Amino acid sequence: MKRIEKKLKELSQDNQKAFVGYIVAGDPDLETSLQLMHLSVDSGVDILEIGVPFTDPIAEGPTIQQAHDRSLENETNLQKIIDLICKFREKDTNTPIILMGYINNFLMYKDLINRSHELGVDGVLVVDIPGELSLEDYGIDNQDLDIISLVSPTTSKERVKEIVKNSTGFIYYVTLRGVTGSSNLDGNEIEQNIKYIKSISSIPVMAGFGIKNSDDAKLLSSFSDGIVIGSSIVELIYKNSENKDFHEVSDYISNMKDAIR
Amino acid sequence: MKDNLPDKDGFFGEYGGKFVPETLMYALNELEQTYKTLKDNNDFNAEFHRDLAEFVGRPSPLYFAKRLTEHYNTASIWLKREDLNHTGAHKINNTVGQILLAKYMGKKRIIAETGAGQHGVATATVAARLGLDCHIYMGSEDVRRQSLNVYRMKLLGAEVHEVNSGSATLKDALNEALRDWVTNIEDTYYIIGSVTGPHPYPMIVRDFNAVVGYELIDQSQESFGRMPDSIIACVGGGSNAMGIFYPFIKMDNVELIGVEAAGKGIETGEHAAPLNDGTPGVLHGAKSYLMQDKSGQVKGTASISAGLDYPGVGPEHSWLKDVKRAKYVAVSDDEVMKAFHMVNKMEGILPALETAHAFAYLDELMPNMNKDQHIVINVSGRGDKDLNSVVEIEDIKL
Ligand SMILES: Cc1ncc(COP(=O)(O)O)c(C=O)c1O
Repeated sequence: MKRIEKKLKELSQDNQKAFVGYIVAGDPDLETSLQLMHLSVDSGVDILEIGVPFTDPIAEGPTIQQAHDRSLENETNLQKIIDLICKFREKDTNTPIILMGYINNFLMYKDLINRSHELGVDGVLVVDIPGELSLEDYGIDNQDLDIISLVSPTTSKERVKEIVKNSTGFIYYVTLRGVTGSSNLDGNEIEQNIKYIKSISSIPVMAGFGIKNSDDAKLLSSFSDGIVIGSSIVELIYKNSENKDFHEVSDYISNMKDAIR
Repeated sequence: MKDNLPDKDGFFGEYGGKFVPETLMYALNELEQTYKTLKDNNDFNAEFHRDLAEFVGRPSPLYFAKRLTEHYNTASIWLKREDLNHTGAHKINNTVGQILLAKYMGKKRIIAETGAGQHGVATATVAARLGLDCHIYMGSEDVRRQSLNVYRMKLLGAEVHEVNSGSATLKDALNEALRDWVTNIEDTYYIIGSVTGPHPYPMIVRDFNAVVGYELIDQSQESFGRMPDSIIACVGGGSNAMGIFYPFIKMDNVELIGVEAAGKGIETGEHAAPLNDGTPGVLHGAKSYLMQDKSGQVKGTASISAGLDYPGVGPEHSWLKDVKRAKYVAVSDDEVMKAFHMVNKMEGILPALETAHAFAYLDELMPNMNKDQHIVINVSGRGDKDLNSVVEIEDIKL
C-alpha cells in the first residue's frame, strides 16, 4: 500500500484526523530543514508537505513568498531537496512526504521527479497545473507517485468531477479565495463543498489555506479528513531561525494536533 | 501559415495554456466564455470601434519618414503612429476593449499590472470613464523611473500599489496582480497589459491590438500600392508587435521582425531578451520562452526601458519564432539611446524608450534593403514619460 493511503487508513481506524504540515525546504537552510522535518513529525505532523521554492510563487502570501526567497538565497533546488528527503528517510520511513511547488521547477527535473518515489517522495502537488490536466502530458509520469490536486471554492461541480478522477492520495480543498496565509474562512461554504466532493468520491479530503488557530483547525477538521497548515508554521520557523531554538514550532504543532483529536 | 491559433485549450503549438492555481480557473473560463459570445456580437464590436475612433482617435496615421529614409538611402521607412493615440501608446487599444468585457460581465473592480506605466495609465483612463474602482500594481523600481505616469494614474483616480518583492519590476507587479485576483475573484476584472498570461489573455489582447495591423493593410495599399516588405516592432510582452503582425501572419512575403531588449548586451546575461537567449518555461500562467536558470528559477532582467524589462514573452511569439514565421533580434541600451536621439532630431518625434528599440534595428536592417522596398515601424508609444529617465541616464543638468 502507498504510504499516504496507509497513513490515512491508520488514522481513520483510530478515529483521528490527519495533520499535514508545510515547510519550505532550505529555509533557513537545508540542514535545519532536516531537523524541522523530524521535529514536526515528533510534535504531531502526520504528513509532510515540502515546499519547493520558486522565484514567482503566485499562490503564496507574503509569509511563504519570503520563505521561498530566503531558501533561494541558499541556492536550494530540487536535487538538493531530494537529497534532503533521502537523509530524512534514513531515520523515518513511515511519514508520507509530498513535494509542493510550481510546474517550472518540476519541468527542469522531470527525470529526477520520475525517480523520486524510490528516493522517498510519495506525492506531488503542482500548484499551477489545473487539476483536470494530467501531469503525464508534461512528462511527469510515475504510477507510484500520488498526484494531489487542489479544489477551490470557485471550482465548478463539473470540474470537481474531472479533478477527482485524476487525483490520488487526497484532494487538497483550498478553504478560501486568496493566497496562502490570508484569513477569511467561511465554515458553511467549506462544509458544503467538502460534502459534495465526498458525495462523488471516496478520496480523502484535506482542508487548508488560512488555518491559524486551534478554533479554525477544530472547525475544519470536523468535516474533512484532516487539515493543512503552512504559513503559521513557516512564520514561527522564521521567528526562531536566528537562535535555532524551535520549541515554539513544536508547541504550536502539538496544540494543533490536540485541537483536531 | 496558420493564423487560427490558439487551439481550444489555449495553445499556440506547445506554447500558451492555462498554468494557474485552481481558484483562477473559474474566472478564466468565465472570461473565455464571455469573449467567445461577444467577439462576433455586432453591438459589442460597434461600441469597441466607436470608442477607438472617438476616444482613442483611430485610425492612427501611417506616416512617411522622409529624412530617415534619406539617411539610410535604401527602402522607404513608414511609421505607424500609435504614439498619437490618446494616452500615448498602443496600450489603450487593449484597455478600451477589455473594459467593455468587464462592463458586460458586470465587474465593478479593475486591477492591472504595469511596467512603464503606459498600461497603468491606459487602464486607469478607461476605468475613470466608467467610474470603476481601479488598482494598479507597479514595481517600486518602475515607480521610481516612471514617476510621471504614477502621478497620472493617481490623477485618474486609480490607487497605485508599489510592489517590493523580487526584482520590484514588471514581473513582480504581475505576480501581485494575480494574487489580488485570486483573492477578489468574483467582483474583479484583471486587465492584463500584454499578450502574456494564461489563456484567453494572449488571444484577447492580440485581437484588440490587431486593429493596428488591419489599418496598416489598407494604409499600405493607399500609400504605396502593396503590402510592406518588413514590419518592425519592439517586443516586451509582445502586444504592440502581435497587434501589427497578426493580420500579416498568413502573408508569407511580409517579413515580421520583433526587437527585444539586449540591455547591456546579450553576452553579458544582463538583458531582457528571452526569445534571443531564453529557453521554454512556464511563468505567469503560460508556457513560453523564458529567462531562467538550470533549476527553473526565473532570472533577473536588465533594460533601459521599464516596458521591456520582463523575463518572459507572449506565447504566440514563441510559436512564431519556432515555426520561423517571425524573426527576433535584440538591440542594446546604447544602440537604443542613439536611435532615440536620431528619431527626435530627424523626424521631430519623441519615441518611448521601448519604441526606440524598433528604430535601433534600422542600422542593421537598412543596408540590406533596396530602394523599391517599403518597411513599417510600429511607433508603439511616445516618450514624454521617459524624459526623467533620459535626463538621469545622460546626466543632464536642466
Ligand atoms: C510604448 C510602449 N511600447 C512597448 C511596450 C512593450 O509592451 P508590448 O511588448 O506588450 O508591446 C510598452 C510597455 O509598457 C510601451 O509602453
